[in-house]
Amino acid sequence: MIDAHRPAVVEEIAKLGAFFRRNLLIAVSYRMAFIADWFNLVLQLVIFSLVGRLVDPARIPEIGGRAISYVEFVTVGIALMSFVQIALSRVLSAIRQEQLIGTLDFLLTTPMAPTTLQIGLVVYDLFYVPIRTGVFLALASLFFDISLNPSGLLPALVIMLAFIPFVWGLGMISSAATLTFRRGTGVVGLITAAFTILSAAYIPLEALPGWARAFASVNPFTLALTSAREVLLGGAGWAPVGRAVSVFLPLAAVSVAIGVFSFRLAMRRERRLGTLGGY
Amino acid sequence: MTAPLEVRALCRRFGEVEVLKQVDLKVEAGEIHALLGPNGAGKTTLLRILAGLCDPTEGEIFIQGARSGTIGYREWRKLFSMVPSGERTSYQRLSGYENLVFFGRLYGLSRVAAKRRSGECLEMVGLADAASRRVGLYSQGMQKRLAIARALLVDPPLLLIDEATQSLDPEGARLTRVLAKDAARRGAAVLWTTQRLDEIRGFADVVTILRRGEVRFRGTVAELSGTVITRTFLIQVGAVGEAGPAELLEGLADITVAGDGHYRLSLKDGASLGATLAALVEGGIEVVACREEISDVEEAFVRITGPS
Repeated sequence: MIDAHRPAVVEEIAKLGAFFRRNLLIAVSYRMAFIADWFNLVLQLVIFSLVGRLVDPARIPEIGGRAISYVEFVTVGIALMSFVQIALSRVLSAIRQEQLIGTLDFLLTTPMAPTTLQIGLVVYDLFYVPIRTGVFLALASLFFDISLNPSGLLPALVIMLAFIPFVWGLGMISSAATLTFRRGTGVVGLITAAFTILSAAYIPLEALPGWARAFASVNPFTLALTSAREVLLGGAGWAPVGRAVSVFLPLAAVSVAIGVFSFRLAMRRERRLGTLGGY
Repeated sequence: MTAPLEVRALCRRFGEVEVLKQVDLKVEAGEIHALLGPNGAGKTTLLRILAGLCDPTEGEIFIQGARSGTIGYREWRKLFSMVPSGERTSYQRLSGYENLVFFGRLYGLSRVAAKRRSGECLEMVGLADAASRRVGLYSQGMQKRLAIARALLVDPPLLLIDEATQSLDPEGARLTRVLAKDAARRGAAVLWTTQRLDEIRGFADVVTILRRGEVRFRGTVAELSGTVITRTFLIQVGAVGEAGPAELLEGLADITVAGDGHYRLSLKDGASLGATLAALVEGGIEVVACREEISDVEEAFVRITGPS
């Protein structure tokens, strides 16, 4: 009954399609959560636009020789960081949710490569989150007097695509931690908040204290944000893309490798202890 | 011919506690093998080890001749399907049909095949009418039947069934046993753990009883029944003669009233059931029915698993 002629890779990719459909159907079934997510995103923008009235425009750095408003500055920050937050927390919460609803055990008895499970749990988000970010930016430019450079959309997408595997690798590490320690949401929330504050997402680097600026300057999230701002607000074209991609690709290779390794290690440990699927 | 499942000298320790001790088990193709044991006997741990969810401390497992650890988990899991003991093992926000299509695709079926097979399996377990309903709205019994349908999606050589009839009504339990029988008839080896002793008679081909991780009995249901001779019966009587049953059974059995024309009969040492019933009939008592008060299987189970 199982198609034995299909190569293993093709079979595993087909399983990702099944995961995508499953997650889409579940997401659609939670209509209120879906609406609340969008409401929350727009609400953040409203709050920051009001905060922007209190901020001295002279303190906002020029991008590409153009003076920008605080709302413009922070819109890119919200878009990228909400993407990071979802990418990070969904990997972790997907594993946790499977543990809690009791389906993880059964999922692990199906003939599936561990990598398929890891990608499968978040494959829907890998599509949904970039779309959500794009729609958010479009809405922001329509309703909040934010002038985004249309020619920067494609370079921004490439930057995000290069950035996704790095964040996903971090997500895998956190999912391994969830398998091992069961509750990791608080720790991941804390780390995400630290990376957000120390990355010029909401506050310009120049306004940060010296130690925070030192951390932010080596924080990959900062590079993603500044590159995205340069192409979306500063009209820098493709120039920042090469630099960002050349940094993100090796980082992604390392984070994904550590993620895959730590997830397998966590699975092996759980099987050895006999606690897999427990919560 | 290679047995679909063979377990040799399997041990599992959790810290100092030895949950499985040198367990040997063989399930042949087309055989329903009941695994019995009181709570904590190690039945679920054994099934979790077979499913690759837990590593054994020692021992070997062969499924279809393939030794665990010598092939990848992905290949290993193609050799069996499982009905887990938990109540909620499906996605509550999806319909029963969508759940099956999803898992069918994880088992390697194409989308078209998964859809077709899901419809067939829902029909088999009597859930066709509820196919499009969210699983969250299913009763416990329906969820269990869905788990069985899921295990039947791909006809694997080995079916691991953990407490399948636990939360089912008698009709649901009967249907489940019929489905397992059908799978065995198609050639699958079925390992069936249960606490419902009454269901193994006329159903299981072989019985293994575990107690504190050790195999205490292995044989057929008839062999299990043969380990005890039932001494207590319930009889239903019609007309009663001049002499009371107690007087007639002097030296043969103790008899007490159980109510509504029923008596409880406890045979004395050396007395046979035939002689006892004959004494009643000769004394003018009409014996309408006679049955074991405790099933012989239950009695054997209690004797085997009770404190040594």
